[in-house]
Amino acid sequence: MCLGIPMQVVAIDGFNAECEARGVMRTVSLFMIGENEVAVGDYVMVHVGYALRKMTPEDARLSWELFDEILEAAGE
Amino acid sequence: MKEDFTIARAWLERIQALPIEHPVAVMNVCGGHERSLTQLGLRGVLPPNVKLIPGPGCPVCVCPEEDLADAIALALTGKVTLVAFGDMLRVPINAPKGEVRSLAEARAKGADVRPISSPQEAVALATKSEKPVVFFVAGFETTTAPVAAMLAQGVPENLSVLLAARLTWPAVDALLRDPEARLDALIAPGHVATVMGANEWGFVADKYHLPVAVAGFSANSLLAALYSVLRQKLEGKPFLDNCYAELVAPEGNKRAQALLAGVMEVTDANWRGIGVIPRSGFALRGEWRRYDARERFEFAAQPRRRTGEMPPGCDCAAVVLGKKQPDQCRLYGKACTPQNPVGPCMVSDEGACHIWWQGGTRAAA
Repeated sequence: MCLGIPMQVVAIDGFNAECEARGVMRTVSLFMIGENEVAVGDYVMVHVGYALRKMTPEDARLSWELFDEILEAAGE
Repeated sequence: MKEDFTIARAWLERIQALPIEHPVAVMNVCGGHERSLTQLGLRGVLPPNVKLIPGPGCPVCVCPEEDLADAIALALTGKVTLVAFGDMLRVPINAPKGEVRSLAEARAKGADVRPISSPQEAVALATKSEKPVVFFVAGFETTTAPVAAMLAQGVPENLSVLLAARLTWPAVDALLRDPEARLDALIAPGHVATVMGANEWGFVADKYHLPVAVAGFSANSLLAALYSVLRQKLEGKPFLDNCYAELVAPEGNKRAQALLAGVMEVTDANWRGIGVIPRSGFALRGEWRRYDARERFEFAAQPRRRTGEMPPGCDCAAVVLGKKQPDQCRLYGKACTPQNPVGPCMVSDEGACHIWWQGGTRAAA
């Protein structure tokens, strides 16, 4: 459950953000980081639907590649 | 574009150049770390004296039988919809033959049990539903803080929570206090530290004089952390290092911590296979107790004769404590597989046995 997923913020409505990762959209709560901390286009580390912290695009990309590798290896 | 492994390779070469003459046991306490280490195949490329040991990094695995039994009993009353993270549904408890042993079995008997992947799904379900919805929560700080945020933000009155939430560091503290512990270093969990702060792990160096480094989940971050703790060990100068600084601040996410502290209080808590660890669990605080399913509903869980123990023959307790590796369990790969799991470590995506199985270890050692 501690496997966080980096997502990019596409739209913000109060504490709710529409976020995207590899074509998948999800509503993510910004309640744990505050609504003015993030802007459209930013990346956030998401865990169980809540953004834990803002992150850089480069870190988001690295995390996704690791994720891909794990999914590939775990694919059965 | 793939992860640039030249940096990881450089870390690996630096590790391989270290004069490690005696075995060094490095524990991780995060299922995500164990998954990365296993899938990246790091055990196969590190010097033989570096022993990577999975520790208590799986909240599902340490969720006590009494909490699971409560959730099952509550679901079987037929008066509520019980939601939980998917992993929890298949975790078996000890029960006499013929009795319900898991939430999945309760569902098969007609109980309204549903898997969810986020607290917002529980809120959405309760909003639409006339029935009471109970959210059964097992998790570490990374899950508990979002649950606190969910309650603080406001939930429908028909939603309540059944908490089996745990803090990570007190379990490590308890392990290190054990004079039989043969651990030489710790890799601290990256996302727990993102919420709670890297500083929370300073006690490993300060109190136990052991090397510790916070790590993320990439090969780069994990190898950097391994290099750090091995070097600290060789130099005899342990300190708290942070190899996931891009996400982890020394003080963590203070807003999340404030939400957690406002809604929950820290209590003594039982860990399956380990026992009671002081101040290692969460309970709702003050006015928030009205959202506690245990206060709201009457249900009678079956009394259990072997409270806190793992199923017969199962070594999950030793695996969680880092005293046995998954493939040292007699049941591993024979009686116990992900398709037919006996113990919680084979059920959960974060359980060491499940991770090793997925990593290709298909038989006991």
